[in-house]
Amino acid sequence: MKTQFALVLSLLAAAGLARAADAPACCAVEKPAAAKDACCAAEAPKPAVAPCCAEEKATAPLTARSIYQLESRFTDDAGRSAQLTSLRGQPVMLAMFFASCEYACPVLVSDIQRLRAELPAAVREKSRVVLVSFDTARDTPAALKAYRERMKLDGAWTLLHGDAASVQELAMLLGVKYKQDARGQFSHSNLITVLNPEGEITHQRAGLMGDVSELAKAVVLVAAAK
Amino acid sequence: MRPLLRSFAIAALALCAGVARAEDLGERMVRIPAGTYAPLIRGADEAERVPVAAFLLDARPVTNAEFLEFVRAHPKWQRSRVSPLFADHGYLGDWAGDLELGARAPAGAPVVRVSWFAARAFAAVRGKRLPTTAEWERAAAAGFTTADGATEPGFAATVLAWYTKPSPTALPAAGSGRANSLGAHDLHGLVWEWVDDFNTAMVTGESRGDTGLERTLFCGAGAAGARDLTNYPAFMRVGFRSSLRANYAVPNLGFRCAQSISP
Repeated sequence: MKTQFALVLSLLAAAGLARAADAPACCAVEKPAAAKDACCAAEAPKPAVAPCCAEEKATAPLTARSIYQLESRFTDDAGRSAQLTSLRGQPVMLAMFFASCEYACPVLVSDIQRLRAELPAAVREKSRVVLVSFDTARDTPAALKAYRERMKLDGAWTLLHGDAASVQELAMLLGVKYKQDARGQFSHSNLITVLNPEGEITHQRAGLMGDVSELAKAVVLVAAAK
Repeated sequence: MRPLLRSFAIAALALCAGVARAEDLGERMVRIPAGTYAPLIRGADEAERVPVAAFLLDARPVTNAEFLEFVRAHPKWQRSRVSPLFADHGYLGDWAGDLELGARAPAGAPVVRVSWFAARAFAAVRGKRLPTTAEWERAAAAGFTTADGATEPGFAATVLAWYTKPSPTALPAAGSGRANSLGAHDLHGLVWEWVDDFNTAMVTGESRGDTGLERTLFCGAGAAGARDLTNYPAFMRVGFRSSLRANYAVPNLGFRCAQSISP
């Protein structure tokens, strides 16, 4: 068991992920709700002592289509820094947005809320919503924390801030287009992406206010696959 | 006297080398002075001209030989090893093998069928980056003999000529085209080139489905908002860029690197 753990650590180090070990991983799969909260909720910045399930699962190398190959680090709204690979092991609904968006993003958020409401409770509990801001200047962790409060987003939501290059790279992988206009507003794709536990894109929906049942089906599908 | 003679000889040699090398621009960069870029299509409240700071730009596109050297040093970018996420199945498709160029990819020809991710990784290794759309367009707007190609007689026709003929199987050498007035070769007439922010070109089939900017819709509202309806190549570039995904590796799409000038 110990050697296994050492092996995991050395694998992590080899993959250049050594620092991920001290970053709290957001994982919800086999952990009880309390543990999940300790890991992920905004108001619980407890240091993670025991390795989270994400690290335990990181034994196998990432698949060729896993977007968790991105090595850049993001910071959540509690100020914790982590790589996307810490999301490994659970279904993820991922969208890009910016907090001062007046039109599309609130709709995008409410679409995801409708989507979550359509999920069976068991799937809803073990899946995670991740919002990544392309407003790298204004959407600091503190601004994202205020957004979480304003939009009443619970612990299942992770809000991420990254530097311009990391955000651009993620957008490129997802196929999200965005452009800041003269007023500082962004025109952007409205894209919801479903990731399986390995971080592979299994479904995407472009648009707003449409039917979310296809998305819900996709989440259920990746939650069922092992 | 002797040392003087020697330095003469060295100077002469250097001069010869300089002349001999004039054909191959190597990885020389040219300084693009500060200027402006006039986007073909812009939002309602966007400025007509966007300022572009001075920067350095490769004098010609990156060649197969240079890219070969890169994948040799960075095996994860070799054809058989690259992740499909970062380069699709067409990646380096003209090459004979992982580390072999072959007849369809002459060493001095621009490398094509490279993804945005691969181009960016190549640039990063050299301490460079990809030019932005604004930078690329600012450099490409220069004429052959004047600062503004749009008003230079014959320039537009020369640029347009490329679109009228199919590309040869093996591309001509990078840098073989006539330099523009800023010293940059082949910005027109050889290959398409990646720009760092190609994903800001939002031309879409369905505004509700994708973005909120209906004015950038093509054919309809898009063209109505365009600055210059006669600039066919500019339309082509906007359309082309908006059709790309970052892992696409398509024929005739290469790149060159840029570098910021620290103030």
